[in-house]
Amino acid sequence: MILQDLSIKRKLTLITMLTSSLALVLFSASFLIYDLVSFRHLLSQDLMTQAEIIGYNSAGAMEFKDEPAATATLSALTAKEDIVTAVLYKPDGKIFAYYFRGNASLPSYLPSHLKENGYRFEGGYLEVFHDVTLNGEHLGTLFLQSDMRQWSQRARRYANILIVFVLVSGLFAFFVSSKLQGFISRPILHLEDTMRMVSVNKNYGVRAVKTYGDEIGRLIDGFNTMLAEIQQRDTVLQSTNGELKTRTQELEEEIFHRKQTQEELLNAKHAAEEANRAKSTFLANMSHELRTPLNAIIGYSEMLEEETRDSGKVENVQDLKKIQAAGKHLLALINDVLDLSKIEAGKMGLHLETFDVAQVIDEMVTTLQPAAKKNANSIRVHVDENVSVMRADITKVRQILFNLLSNACKFTDHGIISLNVGQIKVEGKNWIQFQVSDTGIGISAKQKENLFQEFAQADASIARKYGGTGLGLAITHRFVQLMKGKITVESEAGQGATFTVQLPAQVTFETADSTPSEETNVVSNNLPETKTDLETILVIDDDPSVRDLMSRFLTKLNFHVVAATNGEEGLRLARKIRPLLITLDVVMPECDGWTVLNRLKNDPKLAEIPVIMVTVVDNEARGLDLGASNYLIKPVQRDRLAVLVEKHRVARSSTITDTNSAPLYVGDGQPVRETTGTRVSRIRRN
Amino acid sequence: MPKILLVEDNEMNRDMLSRRLQRKGYSVVTAEDGEKGLSLARSEMPDLILMDISLPVMGGWEVTRHLKADDATRHIPIIALTAHAWVTDREKAIEAGCDDYDTKPVEFVRLSEKIENLLTVKK
Repeated sequence: MILQDLSIKRKLTLITMLTSSLALVLFSASFLIYDLVSFRHLLSQDLMTQAEIIGYNSAGAMEFKDEPAATATLSALTAKEDIVTAVLYKPDGKIFAYYFRGNASLPSYLPSHLKENGYRFEGGYLEVFHDVTLNGEHLGTLFLQSDMRQWSQRARRYANILIVFVLVSGLFAFFVSSKLQGFISRPILHLEDTMRMVSVNKNYGVRAVKTYGDEIGRLIDGFNTMLAEIQQRDTVLQSTNGELKTRTQELEEEIFHRKQTQEELLNAKHAAEEANRAKSTFLANMSHELRTPLNAIIGYSEMLEEETRDSGKVENVQDLKKIQAAGKHLLALINDVLDLSKIEAGKMGLHLETFDVAQVIDEMVTTLQPAAKKNANSIRVHVDENVSVMRADITKVRQILFNLLSNACKFTDHGIISLNVGQIKVEGKNWIQFQVSDTGIGISAKQKENLFQEFAQADASIARKYGGTGLGLAITHRFVQLMKGKITVESEAGQGATFTVQLPAQVTFETADSTPSEETNVVSNNLPETKTDLETILVIDDDPSVRDLMSRFLTKLNFHVVAATNGEEGLRLARKIRPLLITLDVVMPECDGWTVLNRLKNDPKLAEIPVIMVTVVDNEARGLDLGASNYLIKPVQRDRLAVLVEKHRVARSSTITDTNSAPLYVGDGQPVRETTGTRVSRIRRN
Repeated sequence: MPKILLVEDNEMNRDMLSRRLQRKGYSVVTAEDGEKGLSLARSEMPDLILMDISLPVMGGWEVTRHLKADDATRHIPIIALTAHAWVTDREKAIEAGCDDYDTKPVEFVRLSEKIENLLTVKK
C-alpha cells in the first residue's frame, strides 16, 4: 500500500495531523450537538408559552363564536417570523380560525387529527397543540407550527465556523508536526544515511551520531557496536587475506619450482630410460657378439670330441667335454643375464594361457631325470587331485620349476627330491602351490639373506664345486613376482631345503606385476581379459583319434591344444579362450562344421580367428566361401599343417602386437631361447 | 647323398657346420653371402638350404623370397638360422617362406633332426 511505503517523515506528520484534527472535530461536533439540542428545547418552550398566551386571548372570541376577533388575535403572530401556521379548532375538529404566513389559503399540510397537548417535531417542523379553555370549559384546540428557522440558521452558521476552524487548526497541526517529527525521523534518516555510506563505500570506519537517549539512540548505539565489530573483523580478514595472498604466492612459486624439478626429473627419467634402452640394446647385441664365437667354440669342441673318439684318443675326450661344458655354461650365463636385463627393463611380458598343471609336471620330471641320475637322486612327485588347470605364463612356470628342481638335483647327493603340487585357497582365491624339497646340503640362515639376489651364490666355494650362474634363483624370484606369486624357502644347513612357490590359479594382467616401462603399461591396458591366446589352438572334431593325433602333433610344435568334441562346445570354447586358430571338422553330429564355420565368421569377436578346415569332405570352394582360411583333406599332411599354423602364428602375432610391441627389443617378451621352438634348449642350467 | 647348401657369412661357423654336416654324410656347398647363395641354389639345385638370415649383400630372407618365388627352386626346403633372437628376423624368415628355423648357436643334434625331418617330408 502506498500509505505504508511513505517516508517516516510523512507518516509522522500525517499521524500527528490526523490525530489532532480528529480530536478537534470530535470535540467541536459534540459541543455543536449539545448547543443545538438545548436551543431546540428553548424554542419548543417558547412556542408552548406563545400557545398559552394565544389560547388565553382567543378564549373569549371562541366563547362568543366571534370569528373575526379570533382571526385578529391569530394575526398578531406576524411578528413571530418562525411561526408558519396557527389554527383554532372547534371541539368537533372543524377549523374555527387560522393564520398562515405568506398566503391566505390553507396549506396542503395540516395535521389529520387533533393530538394531545404538548410539542412534537414532525417533518422538519415543530408543532404544538394547546387546549383552549374558559372557566374550566373546553372550547377548542390551538395548533401552532414553527419551521425552526432560527435553529437552522444557527446550525448552518456553527457548521461553517467548525469547518474553517478545523481547516485552520489542521494546517497549524501540519506545520507543528512537520517541525516536531524531526525529533524522531532525523536520527533514523541519519542512521539510514550512515548505513548507505557504509554499504556503498565499504567504509566501516563511519559512525552514526547519537542525538537522544531513546530507543533510536540505543539503535544507533547497537548499529555502531555492530560496525565496530565488522570493522574489526574486516581488519582481521584483510590481514588474513594478505597472508593468504602471500601464501598463495609462495605456493605458486613452490609449484613453479616443483614443476621445474618435475621437468628435470622427467628429463632425467627419459635420459635414464634412454640409457636403460641403450643398455638393453647393448646387452642384446653383446649377447649376439658373444654367441658367435661361442658358437664356434662349442661347435668345434663337439666336432673334435667326435673325431677324437673316432680316432681312439680317449684321453683327450674329457678335456674336450670340459671345454664344451664351459662353453655351455657361458651360454647359459649370457641367456640369464639377458633374461634379467629384460626383467629390469620391464620388457619381460606375460603370455597367459590355460594349461594342465599335471602335464607340465610330467614333462618337467622327464626332462630332469638325467640331472637327477647324475647325483643318484630320485624324484618323487605328488599332485593333489584337486589340481587341474591354471592360467599363467607356461614358459615361466616351467622355468621356475626347472630352476628349483635342477638346483635341488645339483645340491643333493644320493637323496630324494620331492615335488608336491596342491591347490590352496587364500582370501577366497585359488592358488597353485608348488613345493620342491630336497635332502641336500641345505642353506644356512646367513646364506638365506641374499638367496634371491643376482650373482649371490651361497658362497664362492659352492660356485666352484657345483657350478651355476648364480642367477637361477634371482630369475625364478622375478618370474614369481611377475605373476604376483610368492616364493619362500625353509632350510637349515645340512638339513635339506624346501622351496615353496604359490601362484594365482588365474594369473591376470591386472594382478600381474605392472612393470615400470611405459610400453608394457600400454600393453596391459590395451589387452582385455579376452586377449587372443597366441599359443592355443582349438581342435573341433568328433573323432577321438583325430583329436588325439592333432593334439600330439600340435603340442610337439609347442602349441597348447584345447579340443572340443562337438560344434556347440567348440563355439563356447572359442569365445572363452580366443585361440590363435581353429581346426574344424565338417562331418559331426548335430551341429556340422559348415554351421560352426558360419557362426564363427558371423560373430564379430570371433571372425578374425583363422579357421583351417580338416575334413574328408572334398568341398574346398564351399569352405573358402564361408570364410575358412585353409582347407586340408584327411589324412592330414603334417608338414603342410605345421607350415600353415606357423604362418598364422606369425601373421596374428604381428597384427595383434604391431600397435604396441617394443620394436627394438627381443620383442614379444619371450625368453630368447624359446624362439628355437623346442624344449631341449632349456636343459642348459645343469 | 643329399646335397645341402649352407649360406653363412661367418667363416668359422661355415667351416664348422659344413664339416659336421659332411661327417653326417651330406654333401655340402657353401656360400658366404646372399647373392652367391642365390646363384649357387639355382646352379646346384641342393636338396636343402641352411640360410643365415643376417647376410651381407643380400639378406637371407630376401634370398629366400627369390627362391620361393621361382618355380624351379620353390620346392627346396629352407631352414633359417637366426643369428640373434630378434623376433622380427624370425617373422621375416617365415614370411619369406622358410620351412623351419633355428637359433644360433646351433645345437647340432637338434639341427640335424630338423634337416632329417624336412628331407624325409620331401621324399
